[in-house]
This record gives sequence, structure tokens and C-alpha cells, in this order.
Amino acid sequence: MESNLPHLDAEAAGAGRAMREWRPWRASPAVVLLAAILLVLIVPPTLFLINASIHTTKVDGSFDQLTLRYYGGLFTNPHFAGSLLNTLVYAFGSSIIALALGVVQALIVERTNTPGRGYVFLGAVISLGIPHVLYVVAWLLLLGRSGPVNAAIDVVLGAGRDGPALDVHSMWGMILIEGFGFAPLAFLLMSAVLRSADASMEEAAIMSGAGLLKTFRAITLRLSAPGLAAVLLLFFIRAVESFEVPALVGLAGNVTVLTTSIFQSERSVSPPSQGEAAAYSVCLLLIVALLLWWYGRLARHAHRYQTITGKGYRARLVDLGRARYFTALLLLLIFALAIVLPVAMLAFTSLQPFYEGPSADSLARLTLDNYRTVLEPGSFRDAVANTLVLGAATATLVVPLTAICAWLAARRWRGAWLLDQLATAPLVFPALVMSVAFLNVFVNLPLPLYGTLLSIVIASVVRHLPYGMRYAYAGVLQIHAELEEAAVAAGAGPSRVFVRVVLPLIAAALVSCWLFVFLLTVQSVALPLLLAGPGTELVAVTLFDLWQNGQVTELAAMGVLWLAFATAAGACFHVITRRYRVLLEGQ
Amino acid sequence: MTRASARRPQHRLLALVVGLALSVGPAFAEDDVDILLYKGADREQKLVDGARPEGQVVLYSAMIVNQALRPLAERFSRKYPFIKLSYWRADSEDIVQKISAEVRANNVVADVIEGTGVGELATQANLVQPYFAPALSAYPERYRDPAGLWAPTRLSYYSIAYNTRRVPADSVPKTYNDLLDPRWKGMIAWRIGTASGTPLFITNLRLAWGEEKAARYFEKLKDQKIVNFGAGSARTLVDRVVAGEYAIALNIFAHHPLISKAKGAPVNSQLMDPVPSTTATMSVVKGARHPHAAMLLADFILSAEGQEILLGAQYFPADPRVAPSPVLSPVVPGIAGVPENFVAPDTLLKFSESSEQIFQKLFR
Repeated sequence: MESNLPHLDAEAAGAGRAMREWRPWRASPAVVLLAAILLVLIVPPTLFLINASIHTTKVDGSFDQLTLRYYGGLFTNPHFAGSLLNTLVYAFGSSIIALALGVVQALIVERTNTPGRGYVFLGAVISLGIPHVLYVVAWLLLLGRSGPVNAAIDVVLGAGRDGPALDVHSMWGMILIEGFGFAPLAFLLMSAVLRSADASMEEAAIMSGAGLLKTFRAITLRLSAPGLAAVLLLFFIRAVESFEVPALVGLAGNVTVLTTSIFQSERSVSPPSQGEAAAYSVCLLLIVALLLWWYGRLARHAHRYQTITGKGYRARLVDLGRARYFTALLLLLIFALAIVLPVAMLAFTSLQPFYEGPSADSLARLTLDNYRTVLEPGSFRDAVANTLVLGAATATLVVPLTAICAWLAARRWRGAWLLDQLATAPLVFPALVMSVAFLNVFVNLPLPLYGTLLSIVIASVVRHLPYGMRYAYAGVLQIHAELEEAAVAAGAGPSRVFVRVVLPLIAAALVSCWLFVFLLTVQSVALPLLLAGPGTELVAVTLFDLWQNGQVTELAAMGVLWLAFATAAGACFHVITRRYRVLLEGQ
Repeated sequence: MTRASARRPQHRLLALVVGLALSVGPAFAEDDVDILLYKGADREQKLVDGARPEGQVVLYSAMIVNQALRPLAERFSRKYPFIKLSYWRADSEDIVQKISAEVRANNVVADVIEGTGVGELATQANLVQPYFAPALSAYPERYRDPAGLWAPTRLSYYSIAYNTRRVPADSVPKTYNDLLDPRWKGMIAWRIGTASGTPLFITNLRLAWGEEKAARYFEKLKDQKIVNFGAGSARTLVDRVVAGEYAIALNIFAHHPLISKAKGAPVNSQLMDPVPSTTATMSVVKGARHPHAAMLLADFILSAEGQEILLGAQYFPADPRVAPSPVLSPVVPGIAGVPENFVAPDTLLKFSESSEQIFQKLFR
């Protein structure tokens, strides 16, 4: 770690003094350097985005005339008001569902002695391995007109209605699928928040006679408020920017949100223009900046919530007695709904020659042909190695970078708010627009980066900065500055404080962050689509070939294989982090 | 260095730097343009001699990897062991996007591009150069570009797909007017967001019937409340018909239902007069670094040997001498005896914006 940060060592004396006086407004070279790194990463694609939003595009893709019509078009679009309302309902609804599921699971796992709780972490991480598009397809198979849910309703209520009893292509369908899809991430983020929180106040409350639910409500959740708000913010922005669920679920039911409305408008010209999507992203960028600024003001009093102090911080588990079987059942139920059901649907579909809904006939048709197609010899010859390198490199770069940025931002070093803003900005770039932006950056660069794996790594790092940032921020927020002050008083410089004090305390969050970024990176398709070329084939992009040309049954087979891969990766990690935690607690 | 950089002086320095930094492959000289159009008897020998020092060729194509690109690469390298063929698969729109960025930046990686709609977009954007391929003389005139900027590689025929459980045999819509039957209201879906979806359906009828008759038809079709299928390929839409989600899908690739039907799925295709058809095209990129090898590759793909490889990927070869596979021939209009309306790439592009507007006005 220290070798990554020679500047910190070099400046240790000066910055150390700044820390000792606790006057974070003094300019810090560390902040300047990190800001410079982030700027180099983020400014080129952002400039392209802004340019794309204010220029018409010529047929060869170059910029033509200056125009504001894309911004005008956003607001004069006849579908704007309806789409905006839908977007708000959808984003709010889905983030609430995801967060509620995540919080319930995190509380049970981190605070109670419910049996089997350790596997929730594993399940959540593994489920992140399913590409989002496939997850959505699984839900559509499940809830669709010919799916088992509607079939069951028809059996109970009798068939003969005009349409399906449950029409999943609707607002509730979108909210439900997006909400469930992000529940595992919500759980991981919230458990990072709770794990590093001191439970002594909870114990005090329980000893004073407060019930368990009351304690969770009045103490645990309130203390986690900044972390909770940060996660909610992240999900809200994610949902506003999301495309898969609105396109796959919403469009077919004529429910449009802003992203799908833009998609429909930009496809009305040929070749497709990036202008409206870019203008939309720029507006989102401003809104996110505003939200972050507002959040920063809220978190100004974050020290009130700091619960990791000089005292031991490991939360003690509440003994639930008999009720622990009930909570175990609850965990099982959530697991079944969010993961087992859609995955089972995928597995079933993958064994069919064609998909016609589960029936007695379909059981007689089981076949492995789809796996044969997906695993055709040579399919992933070079792609596997490239993919693993890409995922590992991206995660290894993102995690330390965001950990330092998050610490500086949380400690309110002068200018460090900018780090937070910069690292969060890529969240609002639609992956497709970002892909075009990076393509244009790399192909024009006087360095031979274009078409290399390194160029894809750089783009992936930018894409996943926001996730790393939120993970680390949640961890850092809860560490009381007194621990660091003590280290400073003992003569440690900022780099030493960071490595010896902060890092061990947020290590657990960072380890799961690494895995999370790794899994997100290896499954992302839209971003590397244009950056990959001959020689830099990636598994996800190769599979996208199937997505474009293949049948739904083959897609399902591919989803099951992905899941097997993610399970293997997750299990390895589980073992490693377990050992690591033992080490940590032993210290 | 090239015309492109002269037109954009600000890129000259950059181009120079990039050129120096990469400095792989031979410099692009004037005779390389001539070799693309060379018709002499020693053409083959000249190409082989020129390709040897080039040593490689890069293809960007929309064809499926496992059944088309990989076998093509294997057979090509068997024929010309001194040329390394590397390929990148992507959708046609992405290929054009990547190529235009490469040409603008004077950092051209691809030599040959192939896909549906690729040729015409690339032609308009001035990204490709004319070439001569002797094999083309056997191809029908209407599938060819008089300017020689693109050559046809594989054909597509479009039809409706219907679920045989939800659409009884005696009521299968056989004409476009049959689709107006109120019994199908809300049960039909079509693909939006791609040129071969709704715009092609609309363009086909405008071309065949004239604007007025077509406009009256679309007004009536509007009442059918067609479902706008927004994400996923044409193949995915057919799968939804198989699943019974929709009874009928418009303007899908006519052979997809046949492939599923062969496995026992309750689906079939129905050609309608006129059947729209399109062709995927192949072009040589401006500033290609391996022009000789590029020509050998183009010749190979257009040869009977190359066209037969496409059969294995269930494509319809553009070469009339290579017969379509027996399973799929029922949807070839010429064999089925249904009139075909070939929508040439330039026509499709010219009409797609106005057709998309008709869609936006009536069906969104």
C-alpha cells in the first residue's frame, strides 16, 4: 500500500502537522494528486459526453454544428412529463424494495444468532455473478404470460380471461424485478455498514428494557443513517440511469421511463444519434452533483454517527432464542424469492429444446443441447484469460484508489469533496455512451493503447469507481477520528495512519468490494463492446454474440454456466475472507 | 499522408504520431488503391505476392462466431497459410461506429467490414473504397452495387411468425390485410429500435403499394394495438411467440420459426406478398493496411467455398449457385413462389428515417 503512495510518505511531515492541528482546510498534496488521477481518468469521456450533447453528428460520427436542440428536445418531448413521473416512481419504488430487503437481511446476519446466516453473504455475492440482463429474463419467464405463476393462477381461478392474470409488463413488474435484482447489493453494502458499527449502544438499550425491534429501529438504524442514506442515494441514481429493466419489462407494456423514452427518440434518426442520451446524462450529472452536495451537508454531522471508537468494536450477537428459527425462515424466504426461483427458472429453461412454459410435456423434452451449443469447442479459447486479467486488474486498481479517496473525503480534507464528486460521476454515464466516448479517446491517443486490454481496464476502472467509493465510504464513515488522532499523537504520518489504523478497520468491506467489482467487471458487456477488438476477446462479449443470435434456451444455459463460475469465485472468496477475519480478530 | 488528414489539418500531427507509434504494417501507397480495382489476368498472383509481406488481414463482421467466422478463418488460413486472419464480431451499428472512429483518427485496424446496413452507412460516411471481385459476375444484378463499394454476402427474408396453438391453421393471416382482423388485437408484436424491425416493415409496404395506400393501411393497423418489443433480437421475439406470450410477430427473420419448428416448437412462419428481403454487405475500409490480403479475403467469402460455409450458420448465401439448405428453403420467396421485394441497402437507409417517423406518429 505504501509503495502505491510515495507522495504520502514524502509529504508525511507536512500533512502530519496538518492532521495534528486537525485543520483539514490546509491544502493537501495527497488530495491534489488523487484529484489529478481521477481527472485524467474522467475528464476525457466527460468532455466527449458534453460535446456529444451540444453537437449534431455527421454521418461518419464526427461532430457537426453546435446545437442546444438535444436539451430542448428533452423537455419538449411529448412523452417527457409522463416518463419523468414514471422514472421517479420506478426509481424510488425499486430502491426502497432493494434497501428494505437488504436491511432486513443485514440486521439478521450481523446482529443475531440466526442459524445459517453466514451463507447469506455467499448467496448475495454469487447472485451478483448473474448478468443483470439474464436475471431480468429469468423473472420474465417466471412472471410472464406463459410462466408458472400465471399458470398457477389460471388453475386456481380458472382460465378464459382475455389477457394474463398478472401482467408483468407494468410498473409493479419493473419495480419488483429491479428491487429484487439489487437486494443482494443492498445487503452487502448495509452489512458493511453494520459490521463496522459499535453495538454497545444497542446492548445498553436492550439492557434498559427496550425490545429488539425497538432497539433496531431506534438505535441501529439511526446510527446507520448516513450509510443508509448513501446506499439509498446510490440505488436511486442507479435506477434513474438503468436501462435493462425499463426496456425488457416496461417497453412491452408501454410504460416508458426517461432512458427508454430517449432510446426510442434517438433510434428515430439514422444513424442513431448520441445527442439526446448525452444531454440526458449531462442533466443527470448535474442532479447527482447536487444530491451529493446535499448529502455532504447532511453528513457534516457524521461524527455523531461514528460508532467505531477506541473501544472494541465487534458487535455482539443478540440471542434470539426460539425466534431465531423464524428469522432463519425469513432469510430462506428472501433467498428463495430473490435467487432460487429465478435461477431455477433459468435452469429449467436451459434444459428445454424450446421454451413453452413448464408442463408435463416439457418434462419429457429435457435435453443438454443448449449446453453443447454454448460450450462449443473453442468458444472461449482466448476470452477466459483476458476476462480474468481484466476483472482482477480492475478490482485491484479500484479498491485502493477509492479507499484512500473515501477516507480523505470522509475526513473532510480540503478539496476532498471533489474526490467524492469525481469518483461518483461515472455512475450516470450510460455504459453505451461511455463506450463510444472511450473509443474516441483511445483511438485518437498518440499512445498505442487502442485495442489493448489495458484500455479496457482503464475504462472499467472509471466505470466502477462509484461502487468502490460507496463501499469504502460506508466503512470509513463509522470510524471515529479519535483512533486516527491517537495514532497521529503517537507520531504517525497520514499514510501510516491510513495503512495501520484505517485499512484494518475497513478491510472486510474492501475485500467484499474487490469481489464485487471483479464480478461486475467480468460480466459487463456494453462498456467493452467497442473497446475490445481482434485479440482482446472477452467472455461476456463473446456471450453477447449468443444474446444477439441465440435462442432463449441457449441464453438460459449461458446464465447457469455464469452462475457456476460466480459460485466457484464466491466460494473461494468465502474461504479466504473467513480466514482473513480469523486473523483480524486474532490481532 | 492520406486525404483524410489533409482535410483535417488538426489531425495531421496526431496522425503522424500515431503512425510512428504504431508503425506496423507496410505504408499505404497509391498502387494499393489500384490493386483493389485491378482486373488483369495475373490478378490472383499479384494479390498473393502482395499479401505475403502483409502477413495478416483484419475482418470486422456481424456474423456469428462459432458457425461462421471461425470456420471461415480456419478455411482461409488453410488456403493462405501465410496470412493470419483475425476477426472482431459486433453488431452492424457498432462496426460502423468503430470504423468511423478509426478512419477519422487515421488509426485504421480493420481491412474488411461485413454486416447488414454496414455498407450503406459506411459509404455515406465515406469510410470505404470501391473494389473489384471477379466472383460477383455470377451474382444477380439487383444484389450488386454499381459503384462497387459493397458486395452482397448473405440474404435475409422477413415474414410473420405465429404460435400454432394460439392461431388455428385455418385462420393464419396470409395477407397484410388479414392482420387487420380485430381478433388479433393486442396479440401482435413487432421489433422496435432497429432498422430491420418496424422501419423495414413500413418501408416495404410504402415501396410496394405507394405512399397513399400504405398510409391508409397503417392507420388501420394502428387500431390493432401492436406491442412494441423493445429489447432483444428478432430471435428473442420469436421465442416469445413460441412461449405463447404473443400470438403473432411481424417482420422477423423467416427462417427462425422453421428452426424451432424442426425441434417441435408450436411455431411457424408465413410469407406475405411482397416478402421484404435485404442483404448483408462487405466493404474494404479506406486506408486499409493490408489491401492485398483484404482482396483475397473478399474473394474467398464471395467464392462458392466461402458461401457454403455460411450455410452451416443457417444464413442464405447471396451466391445463387449455392442452394439454401433444404430445411430453410420453404421461406425463400423464389422457391415458395411468393413475390419478393428486395430492399437495397441504399433504399433501406433512405426510407428508414421517414418510416421511423410514421412509426413514432402512429404506434408509439
